[in-house]
Amino acid sequence: ISRQVLWCPSPHCYLGPFNPGLPVEVPVWLAINLKQRQKCRLIPPEWMDVEKLEEIRDQERKEDTFTPMPSPYYMELTKLLLNYASDNIPKADEIRTLVKETWDTRLAKLRLSADSFVRQQEAHAKLDNLTLMEINTTGTFLTQALDHMYKLRTNLQPSESAHSQDF
Amino acid sequence: VEGIQEFRGEDLFSGLSGRRIPRFHLQRAFFQAWLNEKFAPELLESKPEIIECVVEQLDHMEANLKRAKRGDLKVSIHRMEIERIRYVLSSYLRCRLVKIEKFFPHVLEKEKSRAEGEPSILSPEEFAFAKEYMANTEIYLKNVALKHMPPNLQKVSLLKSVPRPNLDSFVFLRVLERQENILVEPETDEQREYTIDLEEGSQHLIRYKTVAPLVASGAVQLI
Repeated sequence: ISRQVLWCPSPHCYLGPFNPGLPVEVPVWLAINLKQRQKCRLIPPEWMDVEKLEEIRDQERKEDTFTPMPSPYYMELTKLLLNYASDNIPKADEIRTLVKETWDTRLAKLRLSADSFVRQQEAHAKLDNLTLMEINTTGTFLTQALDHMYKLRTNLQPSESAHSQDF
Repeated sequence: VEGIQEFRGEDLFSGLSGRRIPRFHLQRAFFQAWLNEKFAPELLESKPEIIECVVEQLDHMEANLKRAKRGDLKVSIHRMEIERIRYVLSSYLRCRLVKIEKFFPHVLEKEKSRAEGEPSILSPEEFAFAKEYMANTEIYLKNVALKHMPPNLQKVSLLKSVPRPNLDSFVFLRVLERQENILVEPETDEQREYTIDLEEGSQHLIRYKTVAPLVASGAVQLI
């Protein structure tokens, strides 16, 4: 559950630390909900800034490997905040483009490394700087493909410990 | 509404009962169990302690909400939290049921041959469900096909004909507790086996079979 700072302007918020005018940190789902009900203003995370994102995008394009992202949920946060709170985010369009370019670069690298993983029949891979969103984009396809390859390979050799067959 | 001292994301899980147990740990353990169950190819240990606590939490929160003032912002927010937890609970229980139905003879066999003191993979309700499912399947097969077969072909071994979970499938994981010298078996004959260390916080793609005990012990989290 990632946190989002939000600012409550409305005097209706009589909850503990929800004082009108003071920033408070809440889970993203709550922030989006309150924003939709027009009870608050969302404050974008520090990294959601044009210069920072340009740096990140350029870094990603330079390296062959994956660079660490400012947030493990950078893509989700960008999508959510730009969808529901773009009025609270300066230069929203530029930010959207920058994040998309970074995403595209990373996904291209992921496709390449998945391809080489399968080709070279690796047994293990370390994916430290990948975010969950990226993993899940190709993950199911990759693991199912690996399963199929395994079944095809093991069926080539008559094995002593035969797995049960599908009837 | 009584019992609310603070309203932070973590405390939301402690609901309105105002109890002083570290709910954050329960929530984390619960989400961990849910994700592991979703991504593991086999049915994992049942977690009765966690489920009981979660259900209790939900009941408390519901009861408290009934007594609360209507129209309060707090109420709608707590209601959202209740829905979120319910969703995860449903998803967790359904995931388990799907696996029980898919692998029922093997699940029952594993439970039968379990050693005394080893944790159960089925809750009592799940066990009853699995047995009933098996009995129903056997009756169905018999009535629909087997009793019409020649006498020497009227038996079917469900253990042999129902596919086993594929423990060789690949999974993604994140390391919670550092592990050393995990043996990675080669995929092909030309490759050699090698060992790797799993650093805390790192993410990996590897065969489930290699890390199954680590998932059970909570040293890694499937993602």
